[in-house]
Amino acid sequence: MATFAQIPSSLSFSTKPLTKSSLFLIPKRPTLLSFHPIKSGITTSTSTVSPSLDQKLEVNVATHEAKLEVPKRFNDPRWVKGTWDLDQFVKNGRTDWDAVIDAEARRRKWLEEYPEATDTDQMVFFDTSIIPWWAWIKRFHLPEAERLNGRAAMIGFFMTYFVDSLTGVGIVDQTSNFFCKTLLFISVFGVLFVRNNEDIENLKKIIQETTYYDKQWQATWQDDSSPDSKK
Amino acid sequence: MASLTSTTAAAVARPARRRSLTVRASATSVKLSGRPLKVAVVGGGPAGGAAAETLAKGGVETILIERKLDNCKPCGGAIPLCMIDEFSLPLDLIDRRVTKMKMISPSNVAVDIGRTLGPDEYIGMVRREVLDDYLRSRAKAAGAEVVNGLFLKFDAPQERNGPYRIHYNHYDGVKGERGERRTIEVDAVVGADGANSRVAKEMGAGDYEYAIAFQERVRIPEEKMEYYRERAEMYVGDDVSPDFYGWVFPKCDHVAVGTGTVTHKADIKKFQAATRLRARDKIEGGKIIRVEAHPIPEHPRPKRVSDRVTLVGDAAGYVTKCSGEGIYFAAKSGRMCAEAIVEGSANGTRLIDESDLRKYLEKFDKMYWPTYKVLDVLQKVFYRSNAAREAFVEMCADEYVQKMTFDSYLYKRVVPGNPLDDIRLAVNTIGSLVRASALTREMKKITL
Repeated sequence: MATFAQIPSSLSFSTKPLTKSSLFLIPKRPTLLSFHPIKSGITTSTSTVSPSLDQKLEVNVATHEAKLEVPKRFNDPRWVKGTWDLDQFVKNGRTDWDAVIDAEARRRKWLEEYPEATDTDQMVFFDTSIIPWWAWIKRFHLPEAERLNGRAAMIGFFMTYFVDSLTGVGIVDQTSNFFCKTLLFISVFGVLFVRNNEDIENLKKIIQETTYYDKQWQATWQDDSSPDSKK
Repeated sequence: MASLTSTTAAAVARPARRRSLTVRASATSVKLSGRPLKVAVVGGGPAGGAAAETLAKGGVETILIERKLDNCKPCGGAIPLCMIDEFSLPLDLIDRRVTKMKMISPSNVAVDIGRTLGPDEYIGMVRREVLDDYLRSRAKAAGAEVVNGLFLKFDAPQERNGPYRIHYNHYDGVKGERGERRTIEVDAVVGADGANSRVAKEMGAGDYEYAIAFQERVRIPEEKMEYYRERAEMYVGDDVSPDFYGWVFPKCDHVAVGTGTVTHKADIKKFQAATRLRARDKIEGGKIIRVEAHPIPEHPRPKRVSDRVTLVGDAAGYVTKCSGEGIYFAAKSGRMCAEAIVEGSANGTRLIDESDLRKYLEKFDKMYWPTYKVLDVLQKVFYRSNAAREAFVEMCADEYVQKMTFDSYLYKRVVPGNPLDDIRLAVNTIGSLVRASALTREMKKITL
């Protein structure tokens, strides 16, 4: 019986179908299994590893294991006991929240690239809400707000000029006009929601997504009106 | 589908468009002379067992066809408290009572939920073979005939009130593996045969998207088992699953480590390896005793009723998003369908028609649609990306969230809380999501 190896991804078995509805694996010796995803729970997929492949696969297992040893666990002197030690982030007598944000971003990036086993002795409990709201606003919201306001201002100025040149209505009179107010509304929301080129597609997808599940549930009621339709 | 020749006071049939749950009055039902209504329930899981019991109790002649009476269906095995109450389940069916759940984010931030649970509240973990067998034995005790057989196909009725002819392989007391091909005639068919339902195929119910759930049962050393005595774990992350979660659930004397996915089924082994890696220290030294996989429906089939054939449980596709819960809804839908049949047939004395079965669909949809929709929204919002998952785990630390989560899971009800608390929750959720996505933008700039 194979026990749990240090490197789980190299765990492998040869298979033997036991019943017609379940896959029961009897590990014989450490060989790599080429596993085909099971299509349904009722049929079983079987694959047996021929003895001649064993030697080649043993070597592969060894190098695979060696490769996986390389990325070390996440390590940072300021990361102490499952959270960031804020005392180590002091700059000019105050906590440098930007550095905390940077450190946490780096930690998450590291763990995304090299996922780690959870540590039973020391659970991670860092919560991003300890970083005060104004630090987030200063770092992320303000530059973006500046960018969007700039766009809105440019659009606003040129639209006003354009409307003035066409109709002779000045900026003060434009603000009380319904059509101009509509244009203003469209510009502001356009600037807010469409920030990158991809956003147009994303918005369309989101609108479709919100009602997709509802449609799937209503499907059985649709054939009330169309008796010969079949999805 | 059934034509309307109503001589009784008929409800107005509105054309079914966007959000209509139309009810049509049935035509005057034919009174059955000399015999009760006969219904075949195909499939003996929670849905089939519950349906057969309610039918038999209501005076309907019921035959339950199950292909494998000792089937150990691959399953998470978690049941809510309301199921124990509503179905009067004996407490010795439950192997374990999970009172603590640990949610673990992609960056291993761990949050314990369960602080708000009362002393009598828990998530029951059952073995499917035990539960299914119990429900079937109750159906048998109520008067249903339980048959070991494999459903093959049915022939549609020749005339309007004619019987369905069911073809199946009968295994009971028959030598050899293939069984004996038999036919029976019934008035209605309830398809409770699970995600790969044959009844659904026969009636042309259409297909659904499904997730593959893959699970390994691992027997771990006693001292490690102590950690999981009352605790289940949920791992979220792109490494573990792009649209679902990985789990470690305690069973009677071992743990089940698994994961699932809808969109990347070919990578399921990779996701399983990642789940094992995340739980590595806690399951080290364990032996894999079983590997199993099964499809899980993502949404209901396009057609759930056709003339006098209907679907319940996984066959109909009643699995919630986000949590993937199916046992309770299977049993409940089986029961509701049976109740509608019993009522529509006046305790087995009249023939039913499609409108009676549509009443069951309407009742089920109306009662549980909010639950399904909320879980769908949660899945769309929080399983979207690693950033959303981090925010999700962060939110779970909030006591109000924990209380609402468990209330809605254990009792299938949403108790409207204090509106101020709701506003605070909304603000915190948005805050978490915004912070997590801001961090993700920073992460994109970093190269390790």
